[in-house]
Amino acid sequence: MALKRWLDRITLLDLFDGLSVTGRHLFKKKVTIEYPEQKKLPSDRFRGMFRLDEERCIKCTLCAIECPINIIYIDWHNEKNAEGKNEKVLDRFDVDLKRCMFCQLCEEACPTVPKSIWLTTKTYEMAAYERNEALYLDIRKLTDWNAAPNVKPFTVVERG
Amino acid sequence: MNLPPEFWTYLKVVLLVATVPAIVGFVIVLAERRIMGFMQVRLGPNRVGPQGTLQGLADLLKLVTKEDITPARAERAVHFLSPVLAVIPALTALAVIPFGPPIRIGKQMVPLWVADLNIGLLFLLAITSIGVYGIILGGWSSNNKYSLLGGLRSAAQLVSYEVPMGLSLVSVLLMTRSLSLVEIVRRQESTHLWFVFPGLVAFFIYFVSGVAETNRNPFDLPEAESELVSGFNTEYSGVKFAFFFLGEYTGMIVISCIAVTVFFGGWLPPFSHVPALAFLGFVPGAVWFLLKVAFFIFCYIWFRSTFPRYRFDQLMALGWKWLIPISLANILAVAFAILLTPRRTNGLVALSWIYGGLFVMMFLLSKLRRALVRRDRLAASGPAEAGAEV
Amino acid sequence: MSDEPISQAEKDEAVYFAERAKAQGAASPGAAPEAPAAHTLFDVQEMELNFGPQHPSTHGVLRLVLKVDGEKILEVKPDVGYLHRGTEKLFETETYPMGIPHTDRLDYIAAATNNHAFCLAVEKLLGVEIPRRAQLIRVILDELQRISSHLVWLGTSGIDLGAVTPFWYAFREREQILDFFEEYCGARLTLHCMRIGGLPFDLTPGWTDRVSEFISDLPARIDDYEQLLTDNRIWKRRTVGVGVISGEECIEWGLTGPVLRASGVEWDLRRAKPYECYEELDFVVPTRQGGDTYDRYIVRVQEMRQSARIVRQCLDRLEPGEIRGKVPRVIKPVAEEVYASIEAPKGELGFYCVSNGTNKPYRMHVRPPSFINLQALPRLAKGHLVSDLVALIGTIDIVLGEVDR
Repeated sequence: MALKRWLDRITLLDLFDGLSVTGRHLFKKKVTIEYPEQKKLPSDRFRGMFRLDEERCIKCTLCAIECPINIIYIDWHNEKNAEGKNEKVLDRFDVDLKRCMFCQLCEEACPTVPKSIWLTTKTYEMAAYERNEALYLDIRKLTDWNAAPNVKPFTVVERG
Repeated sequence: MNLPPEFWTYLKVVLLVATVPAIVGFVIVLAERRIMGFMQVRLGPNRVGPQGTLQGLADLLKLVTKEDITPARAERAVHFLSPVLAVIPALTALAVIPFGPPIRIGKQMVPLWVADLNIGLLFLLAITSIGVYGIILGGWSSNNKYSLLGGLRSAAQLVSYEVPMGLSLVSVLLMTRSLSLVEIVRRQESTHLWFVFPGLVAFFIYFVSGVAETNRNPFDLPEAESELVSGFNTEYSGVKFAFFFLGEYTGMIVISCIAVTVFFGGWLPPFSHVPALAFLGFVPGAVWFLLKVAFFIFCYIWFRSTFPRYRFDQLMALGWKWLIPISLANILAVAFAILLTPRRTNGLVALSWIYGGLFVMMFLLSKLRRALVRRDRLAASGPAEAGAEV
Repeated sequence: MSDEPISQAEKDEAVYFAERAKAQGAASPGAAPEAPAAHTLFDVQEMELNFGPQHPSTHGVLRLVLKVDGEKILEVKPDVGYLHRGTEKLFETETYPMGIPHTDRLDYIAAATNNHAFCLAVEKLLGVEIPRRAQLIRVILDELQRISSHLVWLGTSGIDLGAVTPFWYAFREREQILDFFEEYCGARLTLHCMRIGGLPFDLTPGWTDRVSEFISDLPARIDDYEQLLTDNRIWKRRTVGVGVISGEECIEWGLTGPVLRASGVEWDLRRAKPYECYEELDFVVPTRQGGDTYDRYIVRVQEMRQSARIVRQCLDRLEPGEIRGKVPRVIKPVAEEVYASIEAPKGELGFYCVSNGTNKPYRMHVRPPSFINLQALPRLAKGHLVSDLVALIGTIDIVLGEVDR
């Protein structure tokens, strides 16, 4: 529109418009969340730190098969239990957290109800000063987070 | 006891040199980061002291303890001296600026300026031109062709924008017939007319040139971070970088102080001649001066957070093709207004009304323009989206 | 210039440069025969600059080798591959469902669209029908991702050109979108929010209300960005006339997405080859005729508004239902090849899948819009200044994850 173009040239109003936008925002509510005093609450489905429940696990190794990066290492052997039947016993259940992409395929593959391995723990603070030991989770660290000092649980969510 | 006037001069110089860098480092840097943050709906730095007040100290400590690097084949002496050359002119320019009316200390009247040169404005323009040396030599002495380019571009920008700055101040000169800054403030007092009103166009040109003079957004291409190089101060670290930084911010203060003194009445409270508002005179003149300067620094920060930056050729075109002709025309208009009613201010008052009227008309045109924009946007988004349906 | 006699050394130099220029002129047969510029004793040398992989404005690890003449760009050679992770090879070693998390990392700004395209390709192979509720929710997720991706583009483009505040405003909106995704599927960036046959989860209670509120607030926010940028004379000076490309050239180069639509070609896969439930939705495909950076900016901002409209319509049409079609537990499609593409925020994102009857694809090739749009950068940048190069990279809107895979 010719009128608008003419108006644009002689007035500086586009500049004042821009200034008014930033000027208005000077008084609006600020969106900063001052971590660590204030934290955002993760949602229920948030994919965070792993947790394993050894009793529920039936050692089917489906989670290890489904993992796209093959970072779950499971070893088990057969043992005779109290009733004389064969029972699988876990030797090793390691998750290499350094390479995990938190895709939740392992949790989806787990056939038990409720799941034996789950990520929906609302915990994301797992930083450590050195990588190799702290971010390689063996079965102790997976089942009982006290053994993993770098994990700061938001809430310990037990699958009920 | 009667202290000799030299004592007061030296004391004022010491106070200026001691406090202005401190104010820059502690107040302006923090204010810029906090205010820019607030305009960007976030909090700025607020961790270091209460509400972040010690952030300047943290920055200062960081810069001072950094390793001082001089590039291998750089000219050591020039590399060492160019930050100094960038700071000293800016600090020196503060010598002629009147910060307030003379105050009574003991039995003496002590003026709140270091020196009242009768060529004050000319001195200021000259001193800021020397500041350009710091930038050119800084860029050249780094032995880095990109720094050199950045420094040369910056210098070209500074030199080009001094012309409209000077010309807009000339139009004020016509109103006061004196270059002395104290005289300019006194004239504004006696004619009851702040020179921003007849010199509205001059003020805008002056402030835009001032922003360009200090390499600030929207004219900060020579030192922008997203360009290929960081400009002339790429190879400087530590205290030398702190000096360049200090020089830039002190330049901001100087430009704001000049704008306040020349256009906004210096230390005068608003409406100083209206008896009903005489209570405003209870606030000391120096405080009024500081408030006005603070407002201009806020404008600097406001510009930085709002506008994109000009490309270098567009920047030069703006200065040479637009600002200079407009400032020349403005000189003619002011001269005409003065000649209409010599020895009286009526001509200038009439000019102020004309400029004010134009400004108001611009605002009314903006409403029209915004209506046109909204109509265009609705037409472009499709017929179904009428009003705020989405 | 003084009138001293020219020394023999200077004469030799002039002759040397003249011969070199002639030799260079003769060596490029396709170039138009230009007369060499009048030779002064100062010859112009081109500079070769490296716009390195680490640079604040290249939106990722992109290396550009520039040949500049002073400030003017003569040639741009993109050097990509710094983010190559072998995604297409990874697809071949894993089963189909295991490949979906890898697609998140292609265009990591708009992960749901990547998942969507992959799932569409596999569903086409299997012949699965997707239930209506799943279709609607997929469209909602896609359009939210489109808004999110364009917000990132707006913010980063602004910063490159000096306008630092739209970035923060845009990310304030994007934060809300990321919260919606986190509530839905558990992650903010690498979403893994679609499965073969439909969706993994149903919506949480209240999700639709929150999205609806966000969508109602969005046009006012976009008005804010427009007030800051669209009519700003400095913004227009930096973007109008920069990087002009015509519609025919776009088609020749294979460019898609907003780049194509800003050059006058009204081609949008959502309209031309509708997938999911786009046929029944009412929206405008923003098209501009100019083909420069400003037009691309306007097109993307309008697309944000249109996405908001689409989400509103989908929310209104949501009904309870299934969220996943009938898919076998082990996915072993018939041995054939298929190509499925969607309109991703950056352009046409397609997956070409060849299956050989096993549960792993034989070949899964990605048609990355950013990679193909990046080809046009040398063509766009020719003749512009180095300061414009930054604007051009922003306007093509590339994500290195997609360029390099």
